[in-house]
Amino acid sequence: MNIFSEIYGTYFRIAAKLLENEVTDEKTVRETVQREGFRDSVLFLPQKLIPGSEDWGLFSRGTEGELRRITKNAPVKVLTKLQKMWLKAKLSDPRIRLFMDDETIAGLNGKLADVSPLYTPSHFRVTDRYADSDDYLNERYISNFRNALKAVKRRSIMYIEFISGHGNRVSGKFVLLKMEYSPKNDKFRAYCYLLRNDKIKSSGLINIGRITHIVDTGRIFRTPVSLDDYFSSRKCSSPAVIRVTTSRNGVERFMLEFASYEKHTVRDLETGEYTVELWYDRYDETELLIRLLSFGPVIEIMGPPHLREQAKQRILRQAELLDSEEDRYAYGNNE
Amino acid sequence: MAGFSELIKNFDKTRDYVRDFFIYGCKVRSDFDRKSIRTYGDEKRRVESWIGDYMRYDDSVRGRSVSISVDSGHIPENPLYNAYYSRSFTDNDIRLHFLIMDVLQDGESRTLKDITDILNNEYAQLFDEQTVRNKLKEYVEEGIILSEKQGKTLYYSLSADRADEYLREFRGLDDTLKFFSEANDLGIIGNSILKMCGLENDLFFIKHNYIIHTLEDILLPEILDGINEKRFISFRTFSAKKVRDSSQPGSENQVIPMKVLISVQTGRRYLAAFIPAVNRFSAFRLDYMKTVKKGDICEDYDVVKAKFDRNISRCFGVSFGMRNDTGAVTPMKITFFVDEESEPYVLERLEREKRCCTLEKTGDHLYTLTADVFDPNEIMHWAKTFIGRIVRIEGGADSVRERFRSDIARMKRMYGGDEDEHIQ
Repeated sequence: MNIFSEIYGTYFRIAAKLLENEVTDEKTVRETVQREGFRDSVLFLPQKLIPGSEDWGLFSRGTEGELRRITKNAPVKVLTKLQKMWLKAKLSDPRIRLFMDDETIAGLNGKLADVSPLYTPSHFRVTDRYADSDDYLNERYISNFRNALKAVKRRSIMYIEFISGHGNRVSGKFVLLKMEYSPKNDKFRAYCYLLRNDKIKSSGLINIGRITHIVDTGRIFRTPVSLDDYFSSRKCSSPAVIRVTTSRNGVERFMLEFASYEKHTVRDLETGEYTVELWYDRYDETELLIRLLSFGPVIEIMGPPHLREQAKQRILRQAELLDSEEDRYAYGNNE
Repeated sequence: MAGFSELIKNFDKTRDYVRDFFIYGCKVRSDFDRKSIRTYGDEKRRVESWIGDYMRYDDSVRGRSVSISVDSGHIPENPLYNAYYSRSFTDNDIRLHFLIMDVLQDGESRTLKDITDILNNEYAQLFDEQTVRNKLKEYVEEGIILSEKQGKTLYYSLSADRADEYLREFRGLDDTLKFFSEANDLGIIGNSILKMCGLENDLFFIKHNYIIHTLEDILLPEILDGINEKRFISFRTFSAKKVRDSSQPGSENQVIPMKVLISVQTGRRYLAAFIPAVNRFSAFRLDYMKTVKKGDICEDYDVVKAKFDRNISRCFGVSFGMRNDTGAVTPMKITFFVDEESEPYVLERLEREKRCCTLEKTGDHLYTLTADVFDPNEIMHWAKTFIGRIVRIEGGADSVRERFRSDIARMKRMYGGDEDEHIQ
């Protein structure tokens, strides 16, 4: 029982898809491989499917040149034990209630009655998750989440009232583009556009946990929207440029911690130091800044100037705090 | 390239390469000095094939540098899942897979002989019984086929659990799969169900998404089994340097597994375990581990686990420190300056991020965090996110306080404080 098994593999999946039809043709084979396969699969896979000198024998050539499957039926999609164990494990995750009602959960639980969960929540411990996570058991939260998710699927125009991060009451008509989950915050948010007179006014993010009222206006936002445009509207104008030194295993620690960012790295062959350009959401700049500061002198923020300046101001303030503490200590000792 | 295949036999080798491309970026062929040029070329081509759009090339002095740059907060599917979907197989494997499923699709139970005869007579496929038996046995273990003994004969039938039927029967399962296939904890398995049904995640993005973790998921089923069955497990560990040299055998460890620890901020995952040889708990990074094997049942598992549960509550992160749990370390106290009126969000941050520490108001605009933990050193990476607000640090280890002081002095010089200019 191992997820690294050919039965889950891309080649098996493509073969299964092609075997769904009694008859197919070479063009369909190549197109399916191109669409569903790895980048180079079209160089390797079609000859395994199309009868020839090296094929697997899953199809035979018909009188009209068509490809006929050797099986009698379309393949069935049997769940493996591992997949069922994984599903069973998810039943004990409170977030499943965001997607299924209690009756459905009970039904699935009954269906998987003889299956052991692959793991239980007690097998894992998240060491550094924030304490104020969303309340997945709260009925109001669940209802708001489901409304928001439905709106994402339908691209409905929603009237939403929520409390902003600064504690202000905000309301308006929004179109929700996508849901985002952060394992660090253990919170869901929705990417959205604020609408004024049915036109996009600005981009934003709404924490599902901060929504106080959400209702479908019954209208659909039909203007095509691009997520790329949405993200571009929030992206920093110039990347953070970071010099990462080799001390205290800095390169490995930094590169791993910032692995989730889009980045460009250049290594100095003499010193082994890296210069990393990181692109970030400009609304997350403070979060980025404090994470960079946590590396201390192992890294240096080279730019952009305003980010370096913010770091400098915090460091100077810190140095002053330590100096005054030293003075206090020295003065106290003299007394 | 003659002999090149998109498929792989050895996941560990590929895991090393993907990790190097992904984490370090800037890898040129000469960095992979333990490998032949052809191996490097094949691995690179494979990764390119799986992850195409995310590979990035830069010209460097020593040749073309390869890295994977992914803004992983804005992708619908972890591209590294493709590594799992690339297992090599034989012609017989794929032929038997579809033929046996076809033979058993009518729901009837059949003997090995029946199945082999049908394959020979109705499908004109000649397989000997042993080959068919092996495949049936394998699929019984995978749970695809059920076996039942009637008298002395084993009967085989196809499992009735179908992914597409589940999706029709259980409303919301599609969204459940879309979310959990990208959230951590073996999301690859959820993704495999989605793929079976021709679905893809079009609803969720994951922020702070460490997609590299999926490469370590290969170890998890064996570890979780070890925990469930209360067994010893053994594995090999590699240092940060040696992990990239797969010719090194690494160190052999035998431990009692307790929990998988996940840091959602540093991108690391660990196995917390008791090491009988040195009589202490420790945490092993999953990305430095290979070849996990279950061993004997541990008779004292529950006793060790009870001790672990007591100890883990005094870990700020994953470190159990270097002392026995009966030893004493002065609790560390860090005092922060916070203006509650104008910056309540700082206080909120302290509250939500303090973990096992306690926080109390100790003066005007002063809040003191007390950390009675095994390894005070672990707090400092987090504490430094509050640079500019740390009024004093007391207790803990002298070396930790001294390092903080010298770090701030170095940073002040680095960023060009006014005093620095005077000194120069």
